[in-house]
Formats: sequence, C-alpha cells, structure tokens
Amino acid sequence: MNAGYGMRTITRYHRPTTLDEALDLMARDGVNSVVVAGGTVVNSSPQPPDTEVIDLQAICSRAIERDNGRLAIGAMTRLQGLVESPAVPSLLRELAYREGPNTLRNAATIGGTVATGDPDSELLAGLLVYEAQVRIEHPGGPSTLPVVDLLADPRVLAGGIIGSISVATGGATASARTGRTPADVSIVAAIGRAASDGVLLALTGVAATPILATRETIASLDPSGDFRGSAEYRIDLAGTLADRVFGQLGGVQ
Amino acid sequence: MKIDLRVNGIDRSFETAPHESLRAVLRREGFFSVRFGAETGETGADAVLLDGRLVSSEIMLAAQADGHSIETVEGLNPARGLHPIQEAFVASGAIQSGYSTPAMILAAKELLDRNPDPTEFEVRDALSGVLDRETGYLRPVHAILRAAAMLRGEAVAPIEPALIEPLVEPDQSPDFGAVDRWLDLPPLAPKVIPSPDVPETQVVGKPERKVDAIKLAKGHPAFVDDIELRGMLYAKMLYSPHAHARIVSIDDSRARALPGVHAVLHHENVARVRYASGGQSYPNPLPYDQVSFDNKVRHVGDRVAVVAAESIEIAEEAVSLIEVEYEVLPAVFDENEAIAGDAPIIHDEPDMEGAHDAARNIVQHIEAEVGDIEAGLAEADHVFERTFRVHQVQQAPIEPHIAISWLDSDERLVIRTSTQVPFHVRRMVAPLLGLPVRQVRIIKPRIGGGFGVKQEMLIEDIVGHLTLATGRPVRLELNRQEEFVSSRTRHPQTITFTTGVKSDGTLVAQKMRTVANTGPYGTHALTVQMVSGLRGLSSYNSPNKKFDCDVAYTNVPVAGAYRGYGAPQALFALESHMEDIATALGLDVLDFRRRNWTKVGDPLDMAAELGEGAAEMKFIPVVTSSGMDECVAQGQRAVGWHRRYDPDWVSPSDRPHIRRGLGFAMCMHGSAISGLDMGGASLKINDDGSFNLLIGATDLGTGADTILAQIAAEVLGVPTEEIIVYAADTDMTPFDVGAYASSTTYVSGMAVKKAADDVHRQIVTRAALMLDVDSPGEIVLRDRAAFATDGRSVTLAEVALHSLHQDDQHQIMSTASYVAPDSPPPYAAQFAEVEVDVETGQVTVYSLVMAVDCGVPINPMTSAGQVEGGMVQALGYGHCEEMAFDENGRMVNARFGPYKLYRSDEMPRIEAYMVQTMEKSGPFGAKAIAEIPKDGVAPAIRNAIFNATTVAIDNIPFTPERVWRALQDR
Repeated sequence: MNAGYGMRTITRYHRPTTLDEALDLMARDGVNSVVVAGGTVVNSSPQPPDTEVIDLQAICSRAIERDNGRLAIGAMTRLQGLVESPAVPSLLRELAYREGPNTLRNAATIGGTVATGDPDSELLAGLLVYEAQVRIEHPGGPSTLPVVDLLADPRVLAGGIIGSISVATGGATASARTGRTPADVSIVAAIGRAASDGVLLALTGVAATPILATRETIASLDPSGDFRGSAEYRIDLAGTLADRVFGQLGGVQ
Repeated sequence: MKIDLRVNGIDRSFETAPHESLRAVLRREGFFSVRFGAETGETGADAVLLDGRLVSSEIMLAAQADGHSIETVEGLNPARGLHPIQEAFVASGAIQSGYSTPAMILAAKELLDRNPDPTEFEVRDALSGVLDRETGYLRPVHAILRAAAMLRGEAVAPIEPALIEPLVEPDQSPDFGAVDRWLDLPPLAPKVIPSPDVPETQVVGKPERKVDAIKLAKGHPAFVDDIELRGMLYAKMLYSPHAHARIVSIDDSRARALPGVHAVLHHENVARVRYASGGQSYPNPLPYDQVSFDNKVRHVGDRVAVVAAESIEIAEEAVSLIEVEYEVLPAVFDENEAIAGDAPIIHDEPDMEGAHDAARNIVQHIEAEVGDIEAGLAEADHVFERTFRVHQVQQAPIEPHIAISWLDSDERLVIRTSTQVPFHVRRMVAPLLGLPVRQVRIIKPRIGGGFGVKQEMLIEDIVGHLTLATGRPVRLELNRQEEFVSSRTRHPQTITFTTGVKSDGTLVAQKMRTVANTGPYGTHALTVQMVSGLRGLSSYNSPNKKFDCDVAYTNVPVAGAYRGYGAPQALFALESHMEDIATALGLDVLDFRRRNWTKVGDPLDMAAELGEGAAEMKFIPVVTSSGMDECVAQGQRAVGWHRRYDPDWVSPSDRPHIRRGLGFAMCMHGSAISGLDMGGASLKINDDGSFNLLIGATDLGTGADTILAQIAAEVLGVPTEEIIVYAADTDMTPFDVGAYASSTTYVSGMAVKKAADDVHRQIVTRAALMLDVDSPGEIVLRDRAAFATDGRSVTLAEVALHSLHQDDQHQIMSTASYVAPDSPPPYAAQFAEVEVDVETGQVTVYSLVMAVDCGVPINPMTSAGQVEGGMVQALGYGHCEEMAFDENGRMVNARFGPYKLYRSDEMPRIEAYMVQTMEKSGPFGAKAIAEIPKDGVAPAIRNAIFNATTVAIDNIPFTPERVWRALQDR
C-alpha cells in the first residue's frame, strides 16, 4: 500500500555490450542486480533496495531463424516481433498477441516472458507444447534445457542469461480459454498441439507456472484460487477446456 | 547519468538518475503531453513512440531509452492548425477529457506510418494499450479510420447527424420483425430521431467542435500537473495497513530528520475539525465523521500522516521512516453484518456528529412512503419478492486525484485541483485550514475525467495544510493503487424488492428495502441512497410505494459519488425484478413494463419524499416529456429483438455449449436536484463582438463548456467560436454547484441562457439606437450582426465599439443564475446481446444499444459520446470490474489488468440513438444525458443471460465463475 514505484529503488544502470561483461556484472558478490529485457515486469513491480539494473538490449539477439527443423528465437525478440513474424507458428503468434496490449508487446520480450514464468501466460503454455528448448549463457559456457525444466526449477537460470528459445514447428494446434472479457488474461487456458508422439496439452492458471498436463493429471491438480476463479472452478475449467482442445485435435492423445 | 535521446527529431542530452522513468524525464523537459495514469503503465496515458513503436514511458527507465528516438505529440504539432490525425479526432468527437488523447494520436501515427489503409480491427489493436474511460473507443477508432482516408488523399464528408425516421406512430403498436436491423449509417454520425415539436435553431442541435479541442488534441499544458512552480515540494501520504485500528503512537522523528523533509503532519499536530467530505450544497448533509488526521484508522488506505519534501523520492523515504504503533481492532466489511448489533463499532469517538445510530454502525436511516404499502400488498393478486446484491467498483478516471497549492503574492492560498466542485471545495476546505473563505482560491483547469470521484473535498485540505506549514508550493498526486483504495468508490448495496401485481399485470404496491455500504465515512451516505430510492420507485407507477433504507458503516474503502449516483444499483435490482415478474406471470417483458412505466402527465410522487431539495418542493412533479415508446422501438429494431424468440438463434446448432440471449432494461433518471442545484454565468461583449462566458460549471471532459457556449451563441446569433469560455475559478467565475446530478446542461445551461437573453436585450437596445429604430424588440441578431426589419444592420463589433468607446458608454454584460424547480426525467431503453458458454459460465457481450430521450441534445456529437462512453463504463460495472479484497480488507487487485477495464480491441458493438422530445422547462428543450447511460446495462445483460439460459443471477458482476455456479445450481 505504501510502497513507492517499483523502479525507485534502482540505484545503478548498466548496459553491457558483451555477454562476458553482462555475466561478470551478474557474478559480483554482494550486489543486488536484476536483469532487464523489456523492463515491463521489473519496472512495474517492487524491487529490493539498492537494485542495479543490467539491461540486455545491446547483447541479446532479436533474430528469428530456422535451425534444423526448429525455429530459434532470440531472447530479446519483442512479443510484437513474434506477432508480426510469418516464420513463427500461427498459434504462437496468436498467443504472443494475447499477452497484452500493444504498448506491452512493443516492449516485453520472449526471454523476459520465459524468465518471469507468469502462471497465466498463454505464450508460455504455447512454448511448452512447442517443446521449447532454452539456451542459457553461463560464465562456464552455454547450456540448453527444455522450457518445462526451467519452469519447474527457475534456479537453473541463476547467474545466467537466456540467449535464445528454440521451438518445434508443425503439428496441428488448438486452444480454448475462459476469461472475464475477450482480451482478459484467461482464468484457465488450454493449449494443445499434435506432436509426433501424441497430443501435448498445456494449461495456464492451475499451478505456479503454466504446466504440461494430460487428461489423467487434471484431476490431481491443486491450483490456488483467487477472486477470478476458485480452485474448484479452475479444475473444472481445465477439464472442460482440455476436452475441447482434444476434441479439436481429433481425439488423439 | 547522462542520456542521449533524439526527441521529435532533435538530438538532446539529459541528466537522469538511474531509477527515473522515461515519463519523468520527458515531463521535466517540458513534454507535458506525456501523462501519468498508473505506476504500472497500464493506462497508456504515458505512451510515446520509441523508435516508431508505441510503448509505456512510465515503466521504461529513461536510461533504457538512451540512444533511441522518441516521439511525442508535440512533435506532430504544426505551429498553427492541426495534423490530419488531430483534425480527425476533433471532427469526430473522439476527444472528451483529452487526457489520453495525445497517446491515442501517437498510436494512430504508429499504425498509419506502417499501414495507410488499416482495417477497423487493426485500428482497435493499435489503440489497445491506451485505456479510455470516456468514449467507449467508438469515436477514436473511427477518427483514426477517417484520418487514414485523409492521409491517403481521399475526400471525407463532414460529420452530420443522421436523422432517423420515427418508428412509433401515435396509437399504433409497432412490429419490427421484418425491419432491417442495423441501419446503414456513417459510424460517426450521431443518430437522432427528430421531433416535430422542436423549433429550428442555428447552433444548438449541431455537432459543434469542442471549444477546448485544440489544446487537448495538441497536448498543450492544460491539466493540474502541467505547471511548474519554483520551490515546489512533493507530498506523500502514509496510509493505514489495517482495516480498523487505533493509533497508539506515532514517532516521526526519523522522518523529520531526513534531509529535504519540510513537514510531517498527522493527528498530533493538525487541528481536529469535523467535516463531511462530500462536495454538496451548504449545509453539508450529516454526518460530520471525518477529520484531516485521526487517531484511529477505519479502512486499509485510510489517512495516517503526510510528508512534504524536496522530491517525491525523499517524501517516500520519509514516509517509510514514520513509526506507527497500532492497536488492531476487529473489522467488519459486509453491510448486513455491520448493522446486526454485534459488530465492532467503527465510530466510537465522542465528538462525531450526526450518525443515525453510531453504536450499531447505522449512518443513515431513510424511510419514505406513498399510499399504504401494506394495504397495497394485501390487495395484490400476486406478490413477488427478490433480493439482489451489487458490489464495489471504482470510478477510475485516467487522471487520478492531484492538487497543487501555493500562496500567492497576497499570501492567499491557491489550490489548483482536479475537482468537479471547486466552489464547494473552497467553502469546505477553509475551516479545516483555519482560514476565512476569502483567503482561499480554487482553480479547476482541464480535468482528466471524474465520474463523481472528484465530487469530494478529498486531498485539498492536505496540500493546504502543507503549504500553510511550509510556505512552499506543494503537489500531491495519488498513484493508481491509492486512487483505488484511498479515494472513493460506488456504494455496494443489498436490495430487496417486494412487488404486488394484479392479474392483468398492473402494479399496485412496490417496496424497496436497501442496506447500503458506505465504508467508514458517510460522505454521500444520505444522498446516494435517496437517489437509489427515488430511481427505484419512480420508473413505474404504483399507488403504494415504500422505501426503507439503512446505510452501514464498514471497514471497506469509502463509497461516494459515482456517475449514476445510486441509480445503477437500484435499476439493476428493479429491472431484474420486473423481468422475473413478467416471466412468472407469462407476460411479454416489454408489454408488462409499458403498462406500468411512467408516462407524460403521471405524478413522480416519490420525488416529493426523496428529492434532496424536498424541503423546497411544495408540489408533486409530473412527467412533462417522454420518448420512451420511441426509444424502445428504435432499440428493438437495432438489437434484432425478434431473435430472442427464435430457438435456432438462441441455441446455435454448430456450437452446442453456446446459448444466445437478448435483454432489456428501461432507464429513467433526473435532470439536476430541483430546488437545490444552482448554476451561475457571466457574459460580456468584447471590442470585436466576441464574448467572454465565465461559468462556475465544471467540464470534466463531458463537453459542458462547449454546449454552454452553444447556448450563448444561439441566443446571440453568433457562431460558437465567438464565445470564449473560462471555467472554473472561484475568484473569477460565478458560483456553480459543479458537475454532478446531471445538472450542467439543464441548470447551468439555463443560467447561461438567462445571461445571454439579458445581453441580447442590451445589444438590441444599443443597435436600435445606432440604427435609429424605435422598437428594439424588432431587431434580430444573426450572423454576428443586428438586423432591423428593413434589412439594415450593424455588426456586433460595431455595437461593441459603440457601447465601449463612442457614446453613452456601457459594458454590455450580464450575470445570471438559475435554480430549477423541476427535474424532468430523461428516459432510455437499454438492450444487450450476449452469448453464454454454458459449460464454463463465460459471458460474451456482443452488442449494446441504448436509445435515449434527453429532450433536445444541444450537441448531438458530445451527447452521443456521453451515451457511448457511459454504456461502456456500465458494461464494466455489470460484466467484469470489481474491487476484490482479502480477509483483512486489503484490495488484492488494485491495478488495471486484474481490476479489468475494457480495452479497444475487445469491445462489443455499441450504438446510441437520441430520441428528441421538447422539454419546455429546459434550455432549448434539453434534458440531462450524462448519467442515464450508466443505469441499464447491468440489468439488460442479466436479462439477456436469463433469456439465453433461463438462469436468473441476482449479483453482479457476471464473471465466469458466478455464472458457472448459477448454471450448476439450475
């Protein structure tokens, strides 16, 4: 209630020009630093005192490139860049559009979306069903891991910087969602894709991050409710919306 | 640190601190078009183009923009005249308050630079980041499409009202089954159904451009925050973290010791003067239950202390250094629990004045009866009873509360503030500050929306105290979270209607029992709830009526005035109840209402009991004009009413989980508080035959200044541009109660007309002298001149020069005021079209149609804008907006995304029709229009859901889980 603006506690700003410089800045002991991509989350939420900002705009890529049957998306690609790129699967373009209004999409990035792990992010759910792999740059060299692992344990990102996200291509897709209004953040959304070994289903609004689920695991979900939807309602929605997605994808599972 | 920006094509270097937002730096450098809306950047009032893309400058560090190119609307502005996008916004009626107009214009520029021929959806997407609380987006969207055509070099037609044939023939029952639904009309054309009773006029009734449009379109400094004062201090409030607590001690020593802090005020060092904060006429209604700072807090967000310091950063740090020890008390949030007798007592202080029963948390008890309710119910063939609950929402103007105060060279206190009620504020703030009224001056510049939340003396005492304590100018601006919980909201209510009906559908008795929730202060406790009773029991005739109301103190944020003022609550309950009765009796929902609604000649008997000026009301008013039948007919056609009886439409075969429905609600409002609301106007001629119109009326973006200028122009035979409007300033302009109670057109408009009539008399007298004509009454004013019957004329400039300089010198001028004996009701028919997902409960609103009888719309363009924007606010009320709290009374969604305002890219189709009637008591036939659009949307959606699913839901908003649960219980 009495907190000031989020950014008031920012005391230094860095714009490293090389990856090594950025990783060195992050590795300093006793310095409270935060990485900023678009800044839409960091600059609108409270930060601890004496926060130093490390702005990645000069080092991370915005390129979207085909790569061995997959698509590599530079972490600094803005959400609007996804929306406007014909190379990006149409479902992901639509989900990027649904992340927010144009003022947000023109600043927020795919890397920032992955790093913040918003439980209501349909784009993250889309990345789950597109079997996204996240390349993380560490002082000791890059590593790549599935986005599902990063969401399950964000500590793997500590000291590192997301360089790019690669996604599968192809496969029929379907989505269903429920919200208060057409453009509202969905209370629950179900995103499906027919992958080579069956339908992948991801859900928002039912756990601490978007998750992969199956018909069987929905019953055991334990969401925390809020004013937009109780736990009981969210579980019911998950079942209904998953059924619609499976139905649209021809019942394959 | 130094940053380099290319701003509007010019390379600039700026000093900035690492934490500073791009918005803060741009405003400091004089780009005042970039405005604060929310600390989360969600309103888009702060939007700029960064490398050609629209972004929020509030949530971007200035340092992030280093090396980039920035565009603001100042970069578009030609030295004189307007950019084509600005021109299209002005011509289209797309500007109301104008607070976010620069951002919208930048959004348009971004789009049109990339895409010269966009679709409507692409335009809506381009505007999606700029929240609009005023227009409903319709006019801005079509203004951008118009601008696109202009920039492509295409000719665009002037925007004229579309005159629509009436559908209702006298004594005929219309049939709309075969009529085309949407009329093929230009989307920007205000839709008017003319009445043959309305005389022809030259300026009134025309879609004139807003008199303040140019400064708003160009983003000129015009709002409270757009001035710079040397030595200004920044204020920051410390608010209560507890819903109910006693302040045991306050230690401000660390805050005072912080360098740059100039004052820390709280209950130990500010005089304890009782007041009621609602901006209402003298004497303010009881209770007087507030003081500037108290030793007790009564809701999360209640005042504890305030700091004034050299910068907002220092003020915030100082606030965090104030140590407060609280004794936390039990709290109560529900209005029914609060008055049950065993709840914590919220006002136990001995010096509180005027609550009905403070020990039971009952602020006000209101009873009013016409006829004999029990006898009426006894004679009824059927008695229906149903209880409804309406929730708490916030007005959410995009410009939050802001005030800047200083001492002028005479050491008088000047407060420049975003208020709807400058004269009330002056009278009310003076005693709190220990000053005589003459020592206080209130200035209201342009206001970025109010909707009732600024019908308060809310923060003016705080800046006043701080300026008196420090001798320095002081600025206090609420951030968005503070605006949600520490300003004012709409009263939640529990409403029970009991209605007795004869078998033929005639009402014989109607009782309304309301328990209202005012939060911990009764600022509008009496008056809002009186309007609830008045509106709830005036729409329909019934010989026996009773209103019985308790207003409860609770520990939720304070309720106050919000556009509609008690009517939206009452009409949700009433129009839901009437739908249910018609359905239960097997009657047509329109026929049943039509049989009972008030018609011309019917008495408005509750007005004599519940009018706020009732003491002056010696008679029972009657309805003098009503276009209700025509409103219903126009709305029925537009919404395609016949479809609700088509099972294939209600249950589309290709989407088995969808049901569609259409709903209706009748609406009836008032035009000012009769016998109480007073407006004043002063009008004087200048050397060139132009006029200064000085008014105390308060234009919040409604277009009030424009329609008042049109009224003067009509009388004086000049174009609107010859009227220079200044408002409102307590030193300069006549008194006016301010902007509330749908009073400006009807009351202030009559004051302007009276002043103009008197100036007209003086002009024709002078012209008769100049033209050597014996009868001034034969002289006609038109085309900026005075004409004798033989065709000879003198221009108004010649009249002015003659009277000011040449012969028998005299300043042609007049001051007039007006208080209305009547409050003629505008009527309206509200229709809604919805889809319900019966598996998930999701409700999607597809169209909203309102046909409204506002008498003669003085300006059809601004009137249409009032209806379109009002419907969208009302849509939020019924469909999605809600203040949600945790168990400790803390609001959990005090930001715009979770609170949920509708965006431009998710809007239903909205259509406004204006059915003319000639209201002889109003200026040129006008009645009010600003509030009635708030009244019918929630019940129309509710009744549409009922039509679609047969499920009747008695609580708003119709969020998915609420509807899902109702469907489960079916």
